[in-house]
Amino acid sequence: MSDYIFWIILKRLRVPLIVIIVSFSIAILGFMLIPGTDNEGHIYHMSFFDSFYFVTYMASTIGFGEIPYAFNYPQKLWVSAMIYITVIGWFYGIGAIVALIQDEALKKAIYRNQFKKQILRLHEPFYIILGYNSITKSIINRLNGYGFRLVVLDKSEEAIDTLILENFQPQVPAFVGDATNQHMLKLAGIHSKHCKGVISLFENDMTNSQIAIVAKLLNKKIDVIVKATSQQQVDHFKSLDLNHVKNPFKIISQRIYYSIEAPHIWLLEMWMYGHILKLRQRDYLPKGRYILCGTGRMGQAIEYGLQKAGIEYVTYDLNAKKYKQKYNTTVFGSQEDIDVLLDLGVKESVAIIAATKDDLLNLTLLNKAKQLNHNIFTIARENSLDELNIFQAAKVNRIYVIEQILADTTYNYIARPLSDLFIHESRKRDDSWAEIIVNMLNNVAGMNPKYYEKKINLEEAYALSNRILKGEKISLADIRRSRANNNDLLHIVYLLLKRGDEVYLVPNSSITLELNDELLIVADEENYEDFEYIINNYYELEYVLEYKEQNKRN
Amino acid sequence: MNTYKIVSGSFIILAMTVNFGFFYGDPTILTEHNAYELFAAIVINLITTVLKLGDKTQLGAVLLSTSIVADIQLIASATLWAFSSYVLNDNSLGTTTAIVSLAGGALIANIVSVVLYIGDTLKSKR
Repeated sequence: MSDYIFWIILKRLRVPLIVIIVSFSIAILGFMLIPGTDNEGHIYHMSFFDSFYFVTYMASTIGFGEIPYAFNYPQKLWVSAMIYITVIGWFYGIGAIVALIQDEALKKAIYRNQFKKQILRLHEPFYIILGYNSITKSIINRLNGYGFRLVVLDKSEEAIDTLILENFQPQVPAFVGDATNQHMLKLAGIHSKHCKGVISLFENDMTNSQIAIVAKLLNKKIDVIVKATSQQQVDHFKSLDLNHVKNPFKIISQRIYYSIEAPHIWLLEMWMYGHILKLRQRDYLPKGRYILCGTGRMGQAIEYGLQKAGIEYVTYDLNAKKYKQKYNTTVFGSQEDIDVLLDLGVKESVAIIAATKDDLLNLTLLNKAKQLNHNIFTIARENSLDELNIFQAAKVNRIYVIEQILADTTYNYIARPLSDLFIHESRKRDDSWAEIIVNMLNNVAGMNPKYYEKKINLEEAYALSNRILKGEKISLADIRRSRANNNDLLHIVYLLLKRGDEVYLVPNSSITLELNDELLIVADEENYEDFEYIINNYYELEYVLEYKEQNKRN
Repeated sequence: MNTYKIVSGSFIILAMTVNFGFFYGDPTILTEHNAYELFAAIVINLITTVLKLGDKTQLGAVLLSTSIVADIQLIASATLWAFSSYVLNDNSLGTTTAIVSLAGGALIANIVSVVLYIGDTLKSKR
């Protein structure tokens, strides 16, 4: 690509260079042919060297004077003619070079070149993010530099400028380009061996689908993380063999279902996304009659969840676009609207869900419902992250922010694959199982424990891996010992163990560890730090394992 | 047929012919080699070089490099001439042959350039 810039410059400089060469040579030839007079009046001819020397400083307007002798009139005439031609030629050449530096096409080529070099210099796994907006910004903030790097493509120059102003550290290479264009994806490094995947969370399902197909064709090995908002689209993606399809509405529907049917499973999932590990009174969804406003993509998904949970509900076909056409506003609350709510039985219902595309409509609708029935549980769909504060201020009981959900699930999928797996596995169990797990976690690690993912290999667990490599049998229980006193237990919980394709949910602590096992560990920071010490440091590990030896002897 | 091709073609060939004009003659006698002809050879070679700029093909790159070689040889020849006559005041046999043989090297580069150019023309079907 640097060649490309080189050729642009050369091609543009062709005419200016010829102008300079021709004007110079005419001037030089003239000085040689015109007879001059020396100090004694003899005729002489300037040599090539003399005239080249004179023309060089004449054309560049330096003007050292007339050499080798003062010029006679024919020579002076020639100078006055040539000075205009050569100086203009010279300035034209310089002007062309300056114009070239400011040339848009050249700037673009240089920028493209820089972008390409930045990608080549990435030696960590990276994801290509298509489209820069509040969702992807939130993903970048959490992923960038934490084991992953990111590359951004966006159609709009404005978005890329905003990204550059954000000053992400380490730098996020960004380029203006149409994401559906395969050349752009290639430029963004889809063929790089470090490229882990493409993230496409566009509003438009068609765009996502187009990108998914192109990306998958270009590189079979990468992950394509893509958003789909209808079941049809999800099926289409599945048939393309995409392993990660994000349907925000399905996620919400599932969360509502588990929240009603199995609150502890719901809690475990929400805890993975930052909720505290405790069910508060307000976390329970009430059982009883629900009102569902909005029957769009989200409405349909929620309906499915409610049906599955066996909840009685009524739907109200509220469409933001039609509402706006009819009343020319999206503020809900006319007498007519109140009548509709009363007809739906707002006074007898326990919960109301506002699931339209318009945030203001959702908000005012819930507000009105709350006025009519003080005890009603309000659930809102919120479309963009920016208005989060308004919804919180309005005291809506539960808010589902589509953008937030997309950002969170994508982040977890990339950076915390085991937590994703854990959520998936835990859903296969029942609520009483989840309750036991929650209690156990609370007992060992408190109300707000953190979770960590650890791979047993030389890089992440040096001492432990070395001992395993030597053929020693070390079980999960053996390393769960305090390094201060090996008679005490270390306060950590192994939540999940992944060995190849096998997954052990809450593994038995007598399981012997193998190389490349992946562990999902719950602990507070202090205990986890100890755990890191033990598995990485020979002496700590030796001390901790002594406990096993002592027990054997006794 | 297009004007640009006629102009660049004639310059490529002219560069060789003028170069030959200077080179032709007894290499030991400087007066058999005209300074104006060397000047013309340099100017025409420079123009040829510029005309060859901007062709991205492999052939374009080789043509450009032959021209650059010819430029270097001819300018070296002229510089040697100026240096020997003004700075060293030496018009010995050695410098004379060096001036002429440098131009001879340029001639070979120019011949290669013309051969490639004609070869490409014959190859193209239009």
